Amino acid sequence: MPVIRLIQIGSVLLLPIAGLLALRWAMRAGQMARLEGAASLPFDLEEPEGRMTDQILGDNRR
Amino acid sequence: MSSTSATKSLQAILPGDVSKGSDGPPSLAEIDASCRVPVLSFFLSGLAWLLLGTAFALVASIKLHQPSFLAGQEWLTFGTVRTVHLNTVVFGFASQTAIGVSIWLMCRLCRVPLVAPGVVAVANLFYNLGLLIGVVGIFAGDSTGIEWLEMPRYATPILFASYSLIAVWTIITFRLRTERRLYVSQWYLLAAVIWFPWAYGTAQVMLLIEPVRGVVQSTVQWWFTHNLLGLWFTPVGLAAIYYFIPKVTGRPIYNYALSVVGFWSLALFSNWNGLHHLVGGPLPAWMITVSVATSVMMLIPVLAAAINHHGTMIGNLGHLRQSPTLRFVVFGAVAYTLASLQGILSSLRSFSEVAHFTHHTVAHAHLGLYAFFSMVMFGAIYYILPRVTQQQWPSNGLISIHFWGAALGILLYVVPLGLAGLQQGRLLNNASVPFLDVVRFTLPWLQLRTVAGLLLGLGQLAFVVNVGWLLLRMLEPLRKPVIQILSGGEITSTGK
Repeated sequence: MPVIRLIQIGSVLLLPIAGLLALRWAMRAGQMARLEGAASLPFDLEEPEGRMTDQILGDNRR
Repeated sequence: MSSTSATKSLQAILPGDVSKGSDGPPSLAEIDASCRVPVLSFFLSGLAWLLLGTAFALVASIKLHQPSFLAGQEWLTFGTVRTVHLNTVVFGFASQTAIGVSIWLMCRLCRVPLVAPGVVAVANLFYNLGLLIGVVGIFAGDSTGIEWLEMPRYATPILFASYSLIAVWTIITFRLRTERRLYVSQWYLLAAVIWFPWAYGTAQVMLLIEPVRGVVQSTVQWWFTHNLLGLWFTPVGLAAIYYFIPKVTGRPIYNYALSVVGFWSLALFSNWNGLHHLVGGPLPAWMITVSVATSVMMLIPVLAAAINHHGTMIGNLGHLRQSPTLRFVVFGAVAYTLASLQGILSSLRSFSEVAHFTHHTVAHAHLGLYAFFSMVMFGAIYYILPRVTQQQWPSNGLISIHFWGAALGILLYVVPLGLAGLQQGRLLNNASVPFLDVVRFTLPWLQLRTVAGLLLGLGQLAFVVNVGWLLLRMLEPLRKPVIQILSGGEITSTGK
């Protein structure tokens, strides 16, 4: 079988396997536990939850 | 090698301060500053390609209803300008802004500054070099003739290598994260940076390097074309929506568990969708049936995203008046829902019999790539640029012109052309209607499309002027001493 065909078959198998491994890692690393806690990850001490950012329109100074 | 030791090894070989170590996580300002050069490089080159791509789009659009336009210029035939428009907009604008936004989001969510940003900036230079060679190659007549893969073979390895370097850098950034938990945007970004080179590389090998034969060519081609939207632009767009709506409103996503379901169902179903473009084609029926079935299953990730995006915005609609980011991103989120539902409908055999080979498909493509993806990217740039440059947007008026030009322009483009496309399909299916009558029917709608394109162009021009003005302000402190030296005296004005 030509090498190029092996690469093609390999690439077809690679992605689903990578996806399954990622899912397995996520399960083992606790990424799927306490999901709602992850919802606050965009926020931090500098820009906490509850504070709106990017209020630049409706400002008549400019 | 364990995760911790791998991270330590990476920290040892990479230059720069990866994190603040015992002093706590780096500040947002530090993270933003580390991204400045690469993010600016991708945004600015992306915008330059956008203007160029829009100019060629307008030429192509005018030629559709006035074929004599620029007919004396043999290098500006419809086939060439449309191809150049597609490639400059898809690989020049959309992909580069996607990369810029991805880098910034990944650093912010990983709570880590970008290591060796110069490497990413160099990758940007080579990416643009590859693109330039590719576009010149198309003008020179070296187009491959395969949609969205038209750039000649001597250009694509440069693009692929540059992109791979950027993907590796994104993964390195992820490995060095100081925040161990993953937000849903990171799932989307990590998947996108792997899916894109996989789809692009596979299509290059199977269509250009060692081409497959017969109908398998069109199978691979539509698999790639659909996945470019579904596995590259869609995940990056969704990652940005899932970050910016909560960030701007200060309110977490409506139902986080649903967002995770949305990601994994997109990963499972999206890859199979491309063959619904070949309904009626000479392919084994089961292949198209599988594609139609998985296209319908896309209702799961689409509704998950729609419930989350719109659920988060309920009660926060007043913020749309204050935030340009929110305006663009929410417009894009609504367009994502509509474009996806339209795509699912278009996959059905009965609908495809009418809508395929008409302007309805063109309207659908623009609803996805412009109304959804580009609007989300514009919104992201409105948020990111002031933070990486430490400058405010100079003109709110230009922001409004951009938003209304883009919003009205794309609505004027998509709605009439989408509806006219359906009527065009009905007429084409009616054997008693002469073909030329069908062509005449489309003319006013094509003229309206040109008007819509002008509105889009106007909005984009306002955006580019605002970006240029912001950059001039950023360079102001650097310019002042030079002016001082040239004038040989003290400066009393602000230098404007």
